[in-house]
Amino acid sequence: MRKERLSEAVITHIVLIIVSFVFFFPVLWLVLASFSASGSIYDYEGFFPQSYSLGTYIKLFSDTQMYDYPSWLRNTLFVAVFSCVLSTVLVILTAYTMSRFRFKMRKPLMKTTLVLSMFPSFMGMTAVYLIMINFNLINNLWSLILVYSAGAPMGYLVQKGYFDTISNSIYEAARIDGASNPTIFWKVTMPLSKPILVYTALTSFAWPWSDFILPNMLLKNRDLWTVAVGLTHLGETEFSRFAAGAIFIAVPIVILYFSLSRFLVAGVSDGAVKQ
Amino acid sequence: MKSTNVKTKCSYVVMGLGQFLYGQRIKGLLYMAVLGLYIWYLFSAGITDIVGFFTLGTVEGDPWLGVAGDDSIIMMLKGILSFLILIAVIVFYFSNIRDIKNTEKLVEQGKPVPGFYASLLSFVDKKFYVVALFLPVVGVAVFNILPIIFMILIAFTNYGGDIVPPKLVDWVGLSNFAQILSLSGIKDTFVRILGWNIIWAVSATIINYFGGLFLALLLNKKCVKGKTFWRAFPILAYAVPGFITLLGFKFMFSYGGPINYYLKAFGLQAVGFLDIDAGWKARIIGLLVNAWISIPTSMLLATGILSNMNNELYEAASLDGAGRWKQFTKLTLPFVVFSTTPTLITSFVGNFNNFGVFYFLRGGLYLDDYFLASDTDLLINWLYNLSIDNNYYGIGAAVSLIIFIITSVISLTAYVNSSAFKKEDTFR
Repeated sequence: MRKERLSEAVITHIVLIIVSFVFFFPVLWLVLASFSASGSIYDYEGFFPQSYSLGTYIKLFSDTQMYDYPSWLRNTLFVAVFSCVLSTVLVILTAYTMSRFRFKMRKPLMKTTLVLSMFPSFMGMTAVYLIMINFNLINNLWSLILVYSAGAPMGYLVQKGYFDTISNSIYEAARIDGASNPTIFWKVTMPLSKPILVYTALTSFAWPWSDFILPNMLLKNRDLWTVAVGLTHLGETEFSRFAAGAIFIAVPIVILYFSLSRFLVAGVSDGAVKQ
Repeated sequence: MKSTNVKTKCSYVVMGLGQFLYGQRIKGLLYMAVLGLYIWYLFSAGITDIVGFFTLGTVEGDPWLGVAGDDSIIMMLKGILSFLILIAVIVFYFSNIRDIKNTEKLVEQGKPVPGFYASLLSFVDKKFYVVALFLPVVGVAVFNILPIIFMILIAFTNYGGDIVPPKLVDWVGLSNFAQILSLSGIKDTFVRILGWNIIWAVSATIINYFGGLFLALLLNKKCVKGKTFWRAFPILAYAVPGFITLLGFKFMFSYGGPINYYLKAFGLQAVGFLDIDAGWKARIIGLLVNAWISIPTSMLLATGILSNMNNELYEAASLDGAGRWKQFTKLTLPFVVFSTTPTLITSFVGNFNNFGVFYFLRGGLYLDDYFLASDTDLLINWLYNLSIDNNYYGIGAAVSLIIFIITSVISLTAYVNSSAFKKEDTFR
């Protein structure tokens, strides 16, 4: 019996090592590539660069003639920060209202968002593209921010799931004490919702930070590109520049996700049950 | 008594006039201002916009003769906007009537009519949901509903191809759908892409789902030491932005990439994994790359669900002499499948509309026997090729309506059957 247990543990760990390798290796490969002395992918020995240096990172920020990474980074940061603030406010308001109040339009609104979310996301985007072209709002970072934050309330379900867990009796008590609804929202709900606020802010930062489709559609000027759009224009000979640029933008997100992984498990499974 | 009724009736005719006569000056003026603005809009632009919506323009522009001409697309957009504004004004009108009835009741009972500031405060308190939802609803209406209505309407016009402004666009009824289902080039492409799309969605969903479940069960084993450490690797993969992963894999399978380097090192020919003639090679790479990206998500999901499972069931089962495999098939699997049915459906729909994988791995390739698509393209990629890259807006919009119908039928059947949606208040 003991022996059986031991061999099972060994097999389990071997499988785990293989799985971890599969998930880790491509990431490691990109990290190594970003430290490659030569830029072109043809100079590599298989997965590994011939020699290492910090040169690519320096080039990334100094050699901006063709590929202006610093300005891509600035644009991305600008869009992500503003969309994050606006979307968080809108999503939290929507989710709280949908969870806390019962009014005539509530079910119709919920059903409408459900139906809207079933249209291919792309369909709306094509239309947004046409609208922006026709009203000359293309090549404008603010139009990106508007689209991101205006669409954000559609994804209110996870947050609503969180607010659903706050017991009604707290609100009733506050009500009896004479608090008005805005006061309740600020003084009772907000202090209780720090985890979901953090979760919402981070996810709504991460989305514009790493989105490609919308900026690719709406930003045609080279100096307005976000990092995601810029990186797709790097070919095989600029591979290590791509890797360095990718690592630079992935690291903040990876750190965020790891510090948040506790919330993520809860968020993902909450969304699953509530739908 | 009679005079108050007259005042109330004033509000039926002129929004806000009644409130003004009752002494609620500011509120009345605000209502009247909305009405005034709307009438001004109606005569300065609104009526032409509504007419323009139906005609989509009558004068074709001609730069040689200096004729400005009508821009059909702008006219359609303005038309939709004028209908949305009309709806908003109607909502205002009814709120005005409800308000004046309340005021009338107060006056009848001899109570003082609240001033502007007091009624504003009580509105913000009692109708907090209106205040809170105002901005989100306006945002969604302008940036989600308006575009979707616009695209639905575009599906019934001949917009696209040669017919873009300054040429006039016309309503053409169902002819875009007829083209997709009958015109040989387009129809063949549609049928082939739809077939591959279904194969893709089914196999991707199964691979990701069971891959995630397998990982979660593996990490849940008692003998595994350092669970957080092992879990970190899939989470790392989950955290890397999708486009970086996809472009990275594209480099990995490219001619100069490491895979071909090793093939050549063993004296073999370099393989164009993602070339135009790659066929199933590219499809399988797509499935694997998608699995790499999505398995961590379904692992997190399965982990969350497994942690809710009742351990006593297992103890009882092993007392009854059930083996490990039997415990898995009779206990774990039914429980997990039961609690993840809704996600299974969302993930199926997500995979059905998975734009990124083939766009990044081999976007922009057109095969000869396909109409502006390649053999790995899904309907959503075809939609992109049609509408963004090649200006076939009308047909593109029709394709997106077909996608909508397919996905909504699938998800609606699932939602109707999910108890979570029906009984959301059970645990309060």
